[in-house]
Amino acid sequence: MLTTYLFFGLALLAVLGALGLIIFKHPMNGAMSFVVTLISLAGLYALLSAKLIFAIQLIVYAGAIMSLIVFIIMFLNIQEKDLPLDPNRWFYVAGGIIVVGPIAGLLINISRTLPATEVTVFDDGFGSVKEVGQLLFTQWLLPFEIVSILLLVALVGAVVLAGKRGVN
Amino acid sequence: MSALDILLVILRIAFGAFVPLSFVAVLVWMERRGAAFFQDRAGPNRANVLGFRAGGLIQNAADGIKLAFKEDIVPGHVKHKFYFILAPMLVFITALLCFAVIPFADVLVLGDKHYIMQAVPMDIGILWFLAVVGFGVYGIILAGWSSHNKYGMLGGLRAAAQVISYEIPMGLALVSLLAVYGTVNLTEMAQFQGKLLFGFIPMWGVVLQPLGVIIFIVAAFAETNRTPFDLAEGESEIVAGFHVEYSAMKFALFFMGEYVAMFVSSALIVTLYFGSFQIPWLNTETLVANARPLVILIMIGLPVIGYFFGAWIKKNNRSHYYRENDPRKKETAVYISLLWSLVAVTEIVLLAYLVFAHGGVADRILVALLQIGTFLFKTFLMCFVYVWVRWTLPRFRYDQLQKIGWEKLLPLALLNIFITSAIIVSFG
Repeated sequence: MLTTYLFFGLALLAVLGALGLIIFKHPMNGAMSFVVTLISLAGLYALLSAKLIFAIQLIVYAGAIMSLIVFIIMFLNIQEKDLPLDPNRWFYVAGGIIVVGPIAGLLINISRTLPATEVTVFDDGFGSVKEVGQLLFTQWLLPFEIVSILLLVALVGAVVLAGKRGVN
Repeated sequence: MSALDILLVILRIAFGAFVPLSFVAVLVWMERRGAAFFQDRAGPNRANVLGFRAGGLIQNAADGIKLAFKEDIVPGHVKHKFYFILAPMLVFITALLCFAVIPFADVLVLGDKHYIMQAVPMDIGILWFLAVVGFGVYGIILAGWSSHNKYGMLGGLRAAAQVISYEIPMGLALVSLLAVYGTVNLTEMAQFQGKLLFGFIPMWGVVLQPLGVIIFIVAAFAETNRTPFDLAEGESEIVAGFHVEYSAMKFALFFMGEYVAMFVSSALIVTLYFGSFQIPWLNTETLVANARPLVILIMIGLPVIGYFFGAWIKKNNRSHYYRENDPRKKETAVYISLLWSLVAVTEIVLLAYLVFAHGGVADRILVALLQIGTFLFKTFLMCFVYVWVRWTLPRFRYDQLQKIGWEKLLPLALLNIFITSAIIVSFG
């Protein structure tokens, strides 16, 4: 019962945060509402008893990445007057609604026609660090390593791009 | 849920919320007395209630009252009032939330039920700490940014850059520690540290990870923005940094947040590296098995400690020049009688335990109380290290600070991971 209320509260917060991100004009307001969305998503993961994903969502997305973005907004001190003018804003919004509308209708239809199934609560081990780690390093080792190489490439790329500035 | 379950939930949450708060008072006092001690002066010795100064603790109450009754000013040039007000709350709340996962006693076994002695019994442990610490940065950034002030902005930038950079060596030092303990759960880590290495050395993190402990402590100092890493405040160059525009209770929240963060990171250092609640060589089972002789030992030891403590009070709490009817002497007499009545009450409680309640549940509760005491004592000592360092080392220059983080601690932490994993794979 409590989890249902929690789910609705968190889902509402997540949607409101996402709306705030696109509606607010000031970059800091946008960034902070996105933080709200990310934290509520972490809460939703916790409700699904995915504890490791909950922690990683908080550490990586809500913690590290967003604090870097907020840091940059502060560093460059972006104010509303620095933003480019956007006279066609409402035109784009209307176009977006027309394009996304049918897809939203499709999604609502799909979720309505989903067959009702019994919900089973997983045991304590599910989603914990040990379980996820063992799955990652046995069944999903190759994709895991490929993703690591991808990240390494991105890292090297960042270093090369940042280092180029000094040399002509 | 039975009544016992609910009672324990309330007790644990109360512990998690109120102990860091009461430690704020202790730490502010320790900071002042420590500073006075290191600089060879008297420290707070004037504020009193009816002549009782409680060794300077009354000064804290005076400061608290002063801050609570000050005018709460929001400067007129602040455009984003919401963030300006949110920032100190964020700093304080995140500092307090970190304590939620730190165990203060071993798992309490009452009958057939097990109670994990953390404010929030979560098993992601250290990951929760890393997550919540990351949010503390928002408070600092928002405070510096919304103050709309050059000093505030500079302080915020410095603090944010510093916290973000030192999270990396801290996280890497934790990686090698996790490899040693094989768990992220802090209670399990604490239980691991109750074992003995070669049968006689306690398996504390500091023994198993001598390099990691240094990296972690340095990073923890930087994370809490304490000297020698307190460039974010840097009174001599940027006035007070990110909280320069704050007054009254908003400033007090920053101030308390700093001390709560200091307490929590001390508690974490103790949990990870200094055996948590474990009394060396006496793990929980040994303690439970030998509860009665232990209590008798405490009953003998307590008056002895009380005697020496009383003598120490008598020696120090007096006027250092001649006065008619020295008021300090009256004060001392009251303190000593308070001390002895405390000793007497404890003796009576312990005696009642010995006569009526020994065995089973009472033993378990007694051991849990002993472990809570041990944990708080170790944390207190670690907090003293913070004060000690603050009044001993000068502040770093900003480039030196970043250089230590990225060029010294980061490679050392990586090296530590390689050495640790090599040892674990070959011997473990």
